[in-house]
Amino acid sequence: MAIIVQTKELAQTIVASVVAGVGVTLVFSIAIWGAARFVDLNRSQRPLAAGAAAALGAAALAVTLATVVVGIVVMTSK
Amino acid sequence: MSSDLVLVIVVGTALAFDFTNGFHDTANVVATTISTRAARPQVAIGIASLLNFLGAFISISVAATVANDVVNADVITPTIVFAGLIGAIAWNLITWWLGLPSSSSHALIGGVVGSAVAAAGIDAVLAEGLVGKVLIPAVVAPVVAFLVAGLSIGIVYRIVGRQRPGPVTRGFRYGQVISGGLLALAHGTNDAQKTMGVITLALIANGTLGPNSDPPLWVIVSAATAIALGTYSGGWRIIRTTGTRIIKMDSAQGFSAQGAGAAVILASTHFGFPLSTTHVINGGVMGAGAGKRVSAVRWGVAGNIMVAWLLTLPAAAAIGAAAYGLSTVVGSGALGPVLVSLLFISVLVVAFTRREQGASVPAG
Repeated sequence: MAIIVQTKELAQTIVASVVAGVGVTLVFSIAIWGAARFVDLNRSQRPLAAGAAAALGAAALAVTLATVVVGIVVMTSK
Repeated sequence: MSSDLVLVIVVGTALAFDFTNGFHDTANVVATTISTRAARPQVAIGIASLLNFLGAFISISVAATVANDVVNADVITPTIVFAGLIGAIAWNLITWWLGLPSSSSHALIGGVVGSAVAAAGIDAVLAEGLVGKVLIPAVVAPVVAFLVAGLSIGIVYRIVGRQRPGPVTRGFRYGQVISGGLLALAHGTNDAQKTMGVITLALIANGTLGPNSDPPLWVIVSAATAIALGTYSGGWRIIRTTGTRIIKMDSAQGFSAQGAGAAVILASTHFGFPLSTTHVINGGVMGAGAGKRVSAVRWGVAGNIMVAWLLTLPAAAAIGAAAYGLSTVVGSGALGPVLVSLLFISVLVVAFTRREQGASVPAG
């Protein structure tokens, strides 16, 4: 039965889907949060906090894009 | 000579199926992008077509599964593959007509299994491959997409819920360009490969290729082109069902649904599971809706879609078996597939002509 169901491959598919799907959304949400906070803090004339929010947002965006690229590379490696 | 003619008909029918697959599944790829206004319809469909084309080139794991692991290639003939394709195309068109996003993939596998059983009995089916690589992933994948999208949208609202909606909506619309692109790429990798697998199966059955062969380059290029053209032609009826009738989405929900769908399809493609992209993206859409508010999902529409899903394998199998019976009633040569093709095209022309006439009658 285990051979028919291919438990290992199926489990790896589920884990990869959850990690990639939730992970990318989480990191991209942080990027959006950083951008939104940057605009608000800049308007409130708090440049240091605005800069920190922008840096966090930019880093999160970079991680998002890197994750997407790595995901495609991993998929095409087989 | 006769078997070569059947092979030509099979390749033509397979590419026609691939076109209808792209046509039918455009909605899965672009509906959420269009409904949240992340991109204009023609732009979204154009990008999806291009990425579907490119996606077809980046893996052949799924094609290998369809060609070698679902039915026994030793007993398969090109006529069996032809009849299976007729079953799949017919079911695709019926569900398109009704506006139901059913699975092109399961229609294809159901059609081929049905015609193979009609021709060679139940032993023609490789139960291990059918259950382990098709049926179990078919049940698991949409559930995983549902859970991933639901979890994702919960995290999104927790992180950005207190921010002003304007920048957040704009941000996720930009994000949807990426997530929608990934979904289109994933669709191309998984769905175009099914047609490659079926053509490869027919080439093996005809003796043109050896057992367990990979698809040749011309098969990959033609399958990629057919699905891209089909995607560009689009299926607006299903776009409406997926994009607005299951839930009314905001851009964050669209991003979560597309991200979940792309993750599940890409991971499955890596392991050679021929998934239904339709099931997966609809699971993602429902999860993104339910993650916000369970009552946001129009469960009646979702229920109709589920009924279509359940019917797809047996209905396509039944049509495939009937098509095989019709194809062989006049002998084992090329005449049967030629007559069935002509009959099928005639039915399509009559149906579409009547529909156009019905549409042109002014409402009283």
